[in-house]
Amino acid sequence: MVESRSIIAKILQPLFVCFTYLFLYLPIITMVLFSFNNSSVSMKWEGFSLRWYRQLFKTPEIINALQTSLIVAFCATILSVLLGLWLILGSRTWKSYFPFNLFYTNIILPEIVLAIGLLSIFTFFRISLGYISLITGHTIIGLGYVVPILRARFTELDPVLTEASLDLGASYFQTVRKILLPLLMPSLVASALLVFTLSLDDFLIAFFCVGPKVQTLSVYVYSMVRTGVDPTINAISAIFLSLSSLVMLILCFLNVLDQVISHE
Amino acid sequence: MIKKLFKNIFLQEAYFWLTCPALLWEICFLYLPVLVLALYSILDYSSGSTAIHLTFEHYQKIFNSLYFKIILNSCVLAIVTATICLFIAYPVAYFLAFKVNKRFRIFLLFLIIIPSWTSLIVQIYAWFFLLEKNGLVSQLLSTLGLFSDSHHLLNNYFSIIVGMVSCFLPFMIFPIYAILERMDKQLLEVSADLGASRYETFKRVVFPLSLPGVYAGVLLVFIPALGEFAIPTLLGGSKRVFWGSIIVDKFLRSRDWRSGAALAIIGILFPALIGLLIYLFNKSINYFKRDKIKIDKTKKAKDNWDFTESNI
Amino acid sequence: MRHIRVENVNKSFDGEIIVDSLNLEIPAGQFFVLLGPSGCGKTTLLRLLAGLDSVDAGRIFLGNEDITYLPINKRRINTVFQQYALFPHLTVFENVAYSLRLKKLSQTVIKEKTHEALKTVRLAGQEFKFPRSLSGGQQQRVALARAIVNEPDVLLLDEPLAALDLKLKEEMMVELIELQDKLKTTFIYVTHDQQEALTVADQIAIMNDKGQIEQMGTPKQIYEFPVSTFVANFVGNNNIIEGALHVHDGNFFVEVEGLGCVSVYISEKFRLIPGCRLFMSIRPEKIFISKKDKQGFSSRLEGKAIEIIYYGHSTNYLVKLKSGKLLRVFEQNEEHFPQEIIDYDDLVYLYFQKENIVLLEH
Repeated sequence: MVESRSIIAKILQPLFVCFTYLFLYLPIITMVLFSFNNSSVSMKWEGFSLRWYRQLFKTPEIINALQTSLIVAFCATILSVLLGLWLILGSRTWKSYFPFNLFYTNIILPEIVLAIGLLSIFTFFRISLGYISLITGHTIIGLGYVVPILRARFTELDPVLTEASLDLGASYFQTVRKILLPLLMPSLVASALLVFTLSLDDFLIAFFCVGPKVQTLSVYVYSMVRTGVDPTINAISAIFLSLSSLVMLILCFLNVLDQVISHE
Repeated sequence: MIKKLFKNIFLQEAYFWLTCPALLWEICFLYLPVLVLALYSILDYSSGSTAIHLTFEHYQKIFNSLYFKIILNSCVLAIVTATICLFIAYPVAYFLAFKVNKRFRIFLLFLIIIPSWTSLIVQIYAWFFLLEKNGLVSQLLSTLGLFSDSHHLLNNYFSIIVGMVSCFLPFMIFPIYAILERMDKQLLEVSADLGASRYETFKRVVFPLSLPGVYAGVLLVFIPALGEFAIPTLLGGSKRVFWGSIIVDKFLRSRDWRSGAALAIIGILFPALIGLLIYLFNKSINYFKRDKIKIDKTKKAKDNWDFTESNI
Repeated sequence: MRHIRVENVNKSFDGEIIVDSLNLEIPAGQFFVLLGPSGCGKTTLLRLLAGLDSVDAGRIFLGNEDITYLPINKRRINTVFQQYALFPHLTVFENVAYSLRLKKLSQTVIKEKTHEALKTVRLAGQEFKFPRSLSGGQQQRVALARAIVNEPDVLLLDEPLAALDLKLKEEMMVELIELQDKLKTTFIYVTHDQQEALTVADQIAIMNDKGQIEQMGTPKQIYEFPVSTFVANFVGNNNIIEGALHVHDGNFFVEVEGLGCVSVYISEKFRLIPGCRLFMSIRPEKIFISKKDKQGFSSRLEGKAIEIIYYGHSTNYLVKLKSGKLLRVFEQNEEHFPQEIIDYDDLVYLYFQKENIVLLEH
């Protein structure tokens, strides 16, 4: 398209975008940089050091919190993906009557309301807080992402491919195994990674539903921040960041793969 | 409808039951808690006895007191956050969708996603780190000769906004980008062909078509921003109180769960109202579309029988 | 090979009746075409036969077997879907071998049958490609091969040529005819394109937009002897003239308002009520147009040529008669140097032979 653009616009727009990126990354990058800072007084650079990372691994609370976070994330991921997958596969029998809208509430509802709601029912039914409350809460959030993602992919495959497979003599189970699952796999893995990361990062539900003996990494960082800046937090944050980036990289790769496979 | 449901169960039993775990889970751990909260907020023990009666006193308490102001403040904060995010996100999304070639685009998107998937706490802490007294930003600004008093950067409204925007900005960028990217580029060409300037094309074609993305983005930012308490608490100092903070207070400190529940219910009403409005809006659009389709069908039937003029 | 019988089948969606008490018998081993306008229910009927949707009432028989409630995967009927529905993550070979693998046949048998099927559709050598790297025509052949490798009793084809361009369409039509000839499987082909139908079919059933079968017969029967105005209009171009039947001296005439009498030929089947109103249907290619006086025709009408379209092999005239009625005439361009040239606004005569006029009930 032939267009005349003023030079100002040509420079301003990219500049604006650059500044936005800078704004988003400035705090994170600084923090990562300073996690290698060999000084306990934050701002002065005193040489490269891994001492905060070493200290990280020596602090038992952090290791415990990390462990808890990982276990909860792992369980929540498996649960949300399984429940979501079953839901999508089984919804075929409901034809068009299926109340998918029920699941959109998971994202619309403010997480804090979910958190205190869970707190209320667990206390009401006298279930002790801890792993169970965390996992259930995170699964709910996870379902809110898994269901739309899987559904979007599934509507591309069903009914066309499902009917073709049934027509050729396969049972629904065989169809799922041979056709639907392989084609859904990238979406499944993508949503699994998404839920895993969300669960690790989650703060609100953990904050309310965590019990006396159980703590997740996010809550731990929060409590530390309230008492002031400590370079160990920098180290934790840097690790968090690299984990998230890794997950995103895998997801991007999967997305590309998925498009290559199903592109017609 | 129920009859048809039973017919389906009969025909393909096993797979029907697959949907039940997820549904049960939803109901037990999402809808039930909300129901319990609602009940908590309106039921109370009568003084002296164990009988339960209906009461709206907790709601009244909220509306009559300081808390109402706090809720309003939270709304204002959320609206301000959403607005600022919108004004920053739209140009960025536009730039990414139209002005960047495909390969670079994926990389840039990837860059935006990373901060949004880092733990919220980590991001808040990062700003805390930057903005505090003798932090990097104040050092930078003082070397540039702009600021002398570094106190003012943290523990105030400005730092809260900075924190909120930096956390929620990606969530505004994505929906808008998604919709802009999907837009039929030919529409822009047609608009130019018909004589519209680039500004006019934007105003008349691009922006209206991008509105669903804008709505989605605003929703994705506004609602979580309402319930946010970590950011204001950590970055705004303890003297600034918002909706999230008083819920925390009610539930974890003063153990006044009934008021806390009432507060929470009020917080649900906002998204519920928005959801209802969107639903009604969609329904009204579909209603108008449906009539048009019916008209076309009857016209077609008539055409087949009529043959007086040319039938090519 | 078994024939298909549809008995009093009803089907509605969302309260709207798509198929209403349909009765149909499709003979075995033939190329059968279901022709009808878009939305008339022919695809619905196909899906009912395949088992993809269930009937509300009525029964479907394959030979003597009642297959009405038999699930899709148990019927010996295979479908070629309109969008092909090839499995994107499987190679061409695996797509075609899919149903064979389900039956757990031995590897050698699978290989043999798959190769055979691919050879039949002329795709030998493409086994290890993925559907995405094939052209539309090739994808369709894979869909075909996949459906025939099973050796089903009936093959259902849902507008298979809709996505192809004209040249490819013509090629594929010939290939389909040859395929059906070779396999002797019953093909049930659904389309809204009457040209396709006339080309490939052994038998055609015309379905109107109320979901009922208007007429069933060979292509020639449908084209030359339509039984209703719907069929007459839907298949090919047509001229329909309304009039009243008269008898005089043993000869039959149709009196048309403002035009006079046209001599017609009555077959024994037609019910005779002198004075009754009816339609005359005459195909454009069966009218002879000339500016001169010609002998040897049963009737003649006068008019003015108001539209002339040149098709290369023929010319299409739109003639306005004295009463204002418009008639279409096709004339084959038989000669390089035509003896007469008809131009715009020329006064012309239209000549009819009474045997070429089909009478339709009002």
